[in-house]
Amino acid sequence: MQLKPGFILREVCGQKVIVAEGLGAVDFGKLLSLNDTAAFLWQKAQEGDFTAEGLAEAMCQQFDIDQATAFADVKEIIDKWQQLGLIQ
Amino acid sequence: MKHTDYYKVAEHTFRVCSSLSFDNYKPFIVAETADTLFALDVQETTANIPFTQELAQDDEGQRIICGHTHNNEPVFEFWDGEQKAGLLLCQPDYRSNILYLEHGFERFATDNALMILFALASAHKSTLLFHSSVIAYNGAGYMFLGKSGTGKSTHSRLWLQNIEGTDLLNDDNPAVRILPDGIRVYGTPWSGKTECYKNLSCTLGGIVMLSQAPENRIRELKGVIAYASLIPSISGKRWDKSIADSLHLSETQIIEQIPMWHLECLPDAAAALLCKNTITCNQTQII
Repeated sequence: MQLKPGFILREVCGQKVIVAEGLGAVDFGKLLSLNDTAAFLWQKAQEGDFTAEGLAEAMCQQFDIDQATAFADVKEIIDKWQQLGLIQ
Repeated sequence: MKHTDYYKVAEHTFRVCSSLSFDNYKPFIVAETADTLFALDVQETTANIPFTQELAQDDEGQRIICGHTHNNEPVFEFWDGEQKAGLLLCQPDYRSNILYLEHGFERFATDNALMILFALASAHKSTLLFHSSVIAYNGAGYMFLGKSGTGKSTHSRLWLQNIEGTDLLNDDNPAVRILPDGIRVYGTPWSGKTECYKNLSCTLGGIVMLSQAPENRIRELKGVIAYASLIPSISGKRWDKSIADSLHLSETQIIEQIPMWHLECLPDAAAALLCKNTITCNQTQII
């Protein structure tokens, strides 16, 4: 999987948000607020091709969390991004 | 015969070389200077410049097609309905630019070209060009935002008719600057269908997002919600990363420093009074 180009992670008053700024993203027409976990995963996913397993592993390294919980969290967030059309 | 004129808008100077002159720019004329933000050369000829389209923006039958040439020079083509009005060919830094005008669309194409150049060339200098109607009251400027057709101009007119001491600063495209000592809103040569080309500025006192509703109601907007309401009203080319970064920086400063509200309203006097009583009551000292 890859994040679709054109979506940018920005910070507004201490809150992390995804804004649609690039060509191909301009019809998104909304902002997506991210909590700290989601923002961390977005930054990891931005590095290139990613998998749910890879992101879950990164999460385990960053946070004090077991593999199964991390994978479930990652799946939930990826599903949401997929529904919103942020992933290709 | 062509002549070169210098204009200063929101403290930014630009140079226009053209055989035409339009009244809306007259209040902004200044003496010749070397310190210009950008220059535009207006040519009254059709140019056939091939370019790759990036994006088309439609607004009430008027269309701007954005793209670039094979040399990566930005291009903007202006259309009024089915008719081409002009083509703006830019340098990548927007400092030196050419407008090719179609006969019959001189003012339309010149205004569009200069608005685009102003917005893009000033983005890195803490300046934003808004789509907004703005009134001046008690020394401060209040901006009304909303989609086309929401009633921004109508709401300004309701202030003018019902609230003594209100003046219209600009009805469509004011400029805002983030300065070390505060945020100011400026009149510009661009004001939509209303002839209001005032070379004046005020401290920005507040921003009100408008939407039509069956009753009048107002609430304050903060943080991400305020940011989301603000950005669709600001001109820019956000798919150019460096411009988007600069706009974002200015936008977050506005969110942090300027109170913002959402006014759901009817087009009536009560809406203007509710708005005025809410947004002007917490003013401390306005210089």
